[in-house]
Amino acid sequence: MENTNDAKIVEMQKAHGPLLEVKNLAIDFTTDDKRAVHAVRNASFSVYPGQWVAIVGESGSGKSTSAMAVLGLLPGTGHVVGGSIKLDGQELTGLKQKDFDKLRGDKMGLVPQDPMSNLNPVYRIGTQVKEALKANNMDVAHEKRSALAKALAGEEADVQLKGNDDETFIGSAELPALMDAARKALAEAGITGEAAEKSVKYFESEWVPGSETRWRVADDLIKAGVSDDKAWAIAKAHVTGSTMDDRIAGLLSEAGLPDAATRARQYPHEFSGGMRQRALIAIGLACRPDLLIADEPTSALDVTVQKKILDHLHMLTDSLGTAVLFITHDLGLAAERAQHIVVMYKGQVVESGPSLEVLQHPQHPYTKRLVAAAPSLASQRIISAHERGENTDALLEHHVVGEDRLEKSENIIVVDHLTKEFKLPRKKEMFKAVDDVSFSVKRGSTLAIVGESGSGKSTVANMVLKLLEPTSGKALYEGEDISTFTGAKLLEFRRHVQPVFQNPYGSLDPMYSIYRSIEEPLRIHRIGDNKSRAKRVRELLDMVELPESVMTRYPNELSGGQRQRIAIARAMALNPDVIVCDEAVSALDVLVQDQVLRLLNDLQAEKGLSYLFITHDLAVVRQIADEVVVMQHGRLVEHATTDEVFNNPKKQYTRDLLDAIPGGKLQLGLD
Amino acid sequence: MTDNNQNLYETLPGQERYVAPIEETPLQAVDKVDDSAPATSMWADAWRTLRKNPLFIISGLLIICVVFVALFPGVLTKQDPNYCNLDNSLSDPAAGHPFGYDMQGCDVFARTVYGTRTSLSVGLLTTIIVVLIGTLIGAVAGFFGGWVDALLSRIIDIFYSIPFLLGAIVVLQMFRTSSSIWKVVLVLALFGWVSTARIARGSVMEAKNLEFNTASTALGSTPIRNLFSHIIPNALAPIIVIGTTSLGSYIVSEATLSFLGVGLPTTTVSWGGDISQAQVNLMTNPMVLFYPSMALAITVLSFIMMGDAVKDALDPKSRTA
Amino acid sequence: MGKYLLRRILQMIPVVLGATLLVYALVFALPGDPVKAMFGDKPVNEAVAAQIRAEYNLDKPFIIQYLLFLRNAFTLNFGNTFAGQPVIGEIARAFPVTIKLAVMAFCFEAIFGVVFGIISGLKKGKWYDSVILIVSLLLISVPTFVTGFAGQYFLGVQWSLIPVTVSSNTTFTEMLFPAMVLGSVSMAYIIRLTRSEISSNIAQDYVRTARAKGMSNGSVMMRHVLRNSLIPVVTYLGQDLGALMGGAMITEQIFNIHGVGFLTYQSILKGEGNLVVSIVTILLLVFVICNLIVDMLYAALDPRIRYE
Repeated sequence: MENTNDAKIVEMQKAHGPLLEVKNLAIDFTTDDKRAVHAVRNASFSVYPGQWVAIVGESGSGKSTSAMAVLGLLPGTGHVVGGSIKLDGQELTGLKQKDFDKLRGDKMGLVPQDPMSNLNPVYRIGTQVKEALKANNMDVAHEKRSALAKALAGEEADVQLKGNDDETFIGSAELPALMDAARKALAEAGITGEAAEKSVKYFESEWVPGSETRWRVADDLIKAGVSDDKAWAIAKAHVTGSTMDDRIAGLLSEAGLPDAATRARQYPHEFSGGMRQRALIAIGLACRPDLLIADEPTSALDVTVQKKILDHLHMLTDSLGTAVLFITHDLGLAAERAQHIVVMYKGQVVESGPSLEVLQHPQHPYTKRLVAAAPSLASQRIISAHERGENTDALLEHHVVGEDRLEKSENIIVVDHLTKEFKLPRKKEMFKAVDDVSFSVKRGSTLAIVGESGSGKSTVANMVLKLLEPTSGKALYEGEDISTFTGAKLLEFRRHVQPVFQNPYGSLDPMYSIYRSIEEPLRIHRIGDNKSRAKRVRELLDMVELPESVMTRYPNELSGGQRQRIAIARAMALNPDVIVCDEAVSALDVLVQDQVLRLLNDLQAEKGLSYLFITHDLAVVRQIADEVVVMQHGRLVEHATTDEVFNNPKKQYTRDLLDAIPGGKLQLGLD
Repeated sequence: MTDNNQNLYETLPGQERYVAPIEETPLQAVDKVDDSAPATSMWADAWRTLRKNPLFIISGLLIICVVFVALFPGVLTKQDPNYCNLDNSLSDPAAGHPFGYDMQGCDVFARTVYGTRTSLSVGLLTTIIVVLIGTLIGAVAGFFGGWVDALLSRIIDIFYSIPFLLGAIVVLQMFRTSSSIWKVVLVLALFGWVSTARIARGSVMEAKNLEFNTASTALGSTPIRNLFSHIIPNALAPIIVIGTTSLGSYIVSEATLSFLGVGLPTTTVSWGGDISQAQVNLMTNPMVLFYPSMALAITVLSFIMMGDAVKDALDPKSRTA
Repeated sequence: MGKYLLRRILQMIPVVLGATLLVYALVFALPGDPVKAMFGDKPVNEAVAAQIRAEYNLDKPFIIQYLLFLRNAFTLNFGNTFAGQPVIGEIARAFPVTIKLAVMAFCFEAIFGVVFGIISGLKKGKWYDSVILIVSLLLISVPTFVTGFAGQYFLGVQWSLIPVTVSSNTTFTEMLFPAMVLGSVSMAYIIRLTRSEISSNIAQDYVRTARAKGMSNGSVMMRHVLRNSLIPVVTYLGQDLGALMGGAMITEQIFNIHGVGFLTYQSILKGEGNLVVSIVTILLLVFVICNLIVDMLYAALDPRIRYE
């Protein structure tokens, strides 16, 4: 069944030809002094109806720029200087904005990257969905389905589609009557008791006003045991069309927003990031575009939320027959979601082809590099090596401390029943950010704390760093309570325990040259004279593999990864024993992230450092940690060795996190 | 979950496997340092932007002229601005007296030239005091927060709610007899520090929450050291902008007060005072009023333009790469 | 919203008390005897002076004076001027004139400021954008009294387009030019504010999203760029209305308009301390209430504020 369906889709796609065809696209940006910067060169790719195509690349590779050119929404001074973009045969380059207006919304939609800045804060969510519907004169009472989707639906359900009327949405006003009629019909059909209950429950959850259509209602009734004629009679009598508000709520609930009718009346600031992204998906799909451009739609979100949203988006676009051009920096994610992958590097397409093929047999050196660095794929590789019974040490840059050795070695940091409560504004009860957490970091090893936003993992790190005082419980360094340190003792402690923070743009003072930044700890601790400090700074730069020439530079002239290496150099300046990395690699591109992780591993091997590594990304943990602590809502969920957590997770939440690693289910090649 | 049965798909036309020729897409080292541009600090960067801004060049040249005139008025005119001869009252321009004479028979050109020094001193002194006091109070409020902030913010609100001119006149009225320019400077500062304090408070609060302070603390730095070595330097840009712009507005305020007769005494040569004197004969001798007004407007304009240029150059948005 | 309003009102109280105390102290507690000042150059008659001191509680300790003043102020009983006129009467005569002038100036600056600001914000870099910018820079730099005199001389005296001064009738035509002079500086600031808000809003992500929805350029501009850009402009306008109500000492002086500014200036010169303090107290209330309205407007326009 599946296969015939797939074959049928391919047949249709072939017959239709590509929906989007980009050929030899070239895009320039003009700088202030009128120079042209080539952002995209000679890029070609195509998207077929109903297909997911991913463009993969690091920041600055031109992937988003190419996608925005398709929409006619290039930022600033960007402009297409060559090549062609064809949507359903229509040439888009050189089109006026007015003509783009006609295509945007109902021919092509956008799900943008940053959910925080893409909704206008002054309008209700529903209003912003409504704008999309209004701008394209959408019929809010009937579904608009692509030919592909119709064919698919026809295959899935043996329902005769009788023209547009069958695509009429349920209205919220008529829902109670519809439910009554359904109940009666079930009773008449002799379905009672538990079976009837179950059917009614199912109807209640499925029949969303403004989203479910007449033929689906009829279909559901028939499947529940109501006779064909009766089912259609009920559907025709009680499904007569939705209002604008119903449709808005319907769209939002399709995008996975619970309680959508109420939510539609709220403002963006009342929504979490994940909820906003769902609203943006609803907006992008509101006019049923043939092509949806999803520009890193989930990179700002927690992994489990990311997975839920992408699953949802996949389901929606499949059922609507929408093609998706998926922009991402994560190769694992791309391969998992898309059938076809386009890899971009420095404005050019370096490799493209069917996802699995590209992933299993990368040919361009850049793709090879990406495949080797992707953390999700790395852990994948380890698992498959395990299954083959091979020694995995060779696959890890990280030299794992053996379990027996781990047992024997002493604790350098001990966290003992640590609790931190915060007072929330205008709320009586205290909020427990960290709730009774205990673990210990063994000397020379790495312990990773994994959790999503709000799990309290960073709060733990800040208490270990004595940047926050615990409400109760203790954090010990070398057996001494950190919260008792003051004066000289505190300064001494700071020498030994150093942080590397998440935001490579925020943790270096923009007014300080790199030299001054790295020198600062030496100056604070009054170590050496100017000459010996300069020597030390050079050593440190060499340690993090940066040229001496960066000393005179300022943070804004360096990339995120370079800044993070500077931050590591600064942390290393005082020869610490412990480094607390708070999401230290989360903001970096995959390759750079890999580079920084290697650096951290090398330093550990060389200097015997202990790491407390805070991250939201379990995939990274595999590359660096000996032990893992999983946290959720301030509580410790699971604490075990890394292998144990990956191979034999005890708790459901840990399993959810593992499942959410993109590319986790891919069958990797054995090369 | 979607099934990954891509292998079942036939490759569609145009989506065949493609690998770019490696020689056309050379690979660079991961995260290579870009050595092409010279290293610049924020100030050097701002200076580079400024140099190219015509607004800055024009206002800079004007300010240099104004400062020169204020420092060496004698170079431009040999006339004593306080030498007045009623015989010359409202006489037309003559050789050596290009602007003619005012009602008292004083040389308008000389008075306009010498008035520069007064206006500029008042503007400059007020700005210095206001920036020092405003920054200090604003920084303390923003840095310590809590009740200190609440208290200082209310005090700022109180001063803010009193109309600037009204307050200044009330106080100056008490010191009518004093002839020092300091009374005007101090009164302008008394009611002027609030706007700087508000801005300083905001930018210190913003700088305080930046991560590099936490990083510094973890390196062993103390809060006070953070304040002076990280927070204030980072909060300085908006203070400099408002300082430059308000220098112009203090000159206007001084002129306005002198115009109303409560500012500088008539014995001090000042534009505001001269304009006030000249208004009596506006109908017949408008030029007597025109020259000091012109000088005043050009001076103020150049400082406001300079403020705009500095604001563009120090815009933090241009530095977040 | 109710809670927010209540909090703002509670914050207002210490500000009003503090500001009136400050002004009261400035007028009555500073060195310099207001009673002596009354006599001007004439010799001081000690008996009369003592009587006046008793009438205005000037013989009592400062804080008592202030509290007595405050108590009376609550019932709008501000006492008499030194010349024997009820203070409230003087104020009641001046206020309607000032309100008329302020409302006219306000309409002028709001309409022209926003319109020119939008034009120049939307057409950045065009020649008329440059013209608008230069004119607004000039208006900001040239003091009001210079603008006022220049207009008075050219429009009034030379070309006889406008009445040179305002009569006690304060007709619309007489008041038109003074109102424009009064509103000109704020108009220039509004132009600059609107322009910079528009250019920063146009670059917002949600504007791109709106375009991606298929909205036409016109409706994107109206609904997303202008709507959001006008929030700070409305705030500025509201605060400025408060300031305008405070009377325009300079403008009223130049055009001989007998409004609050004129009255205040005259009473300061005459040393009518009681009148000054009374006017300032009323102005403070007007100013603070305008700010309160601004806060409410702001909260109505920007839903994020309500939940802070």
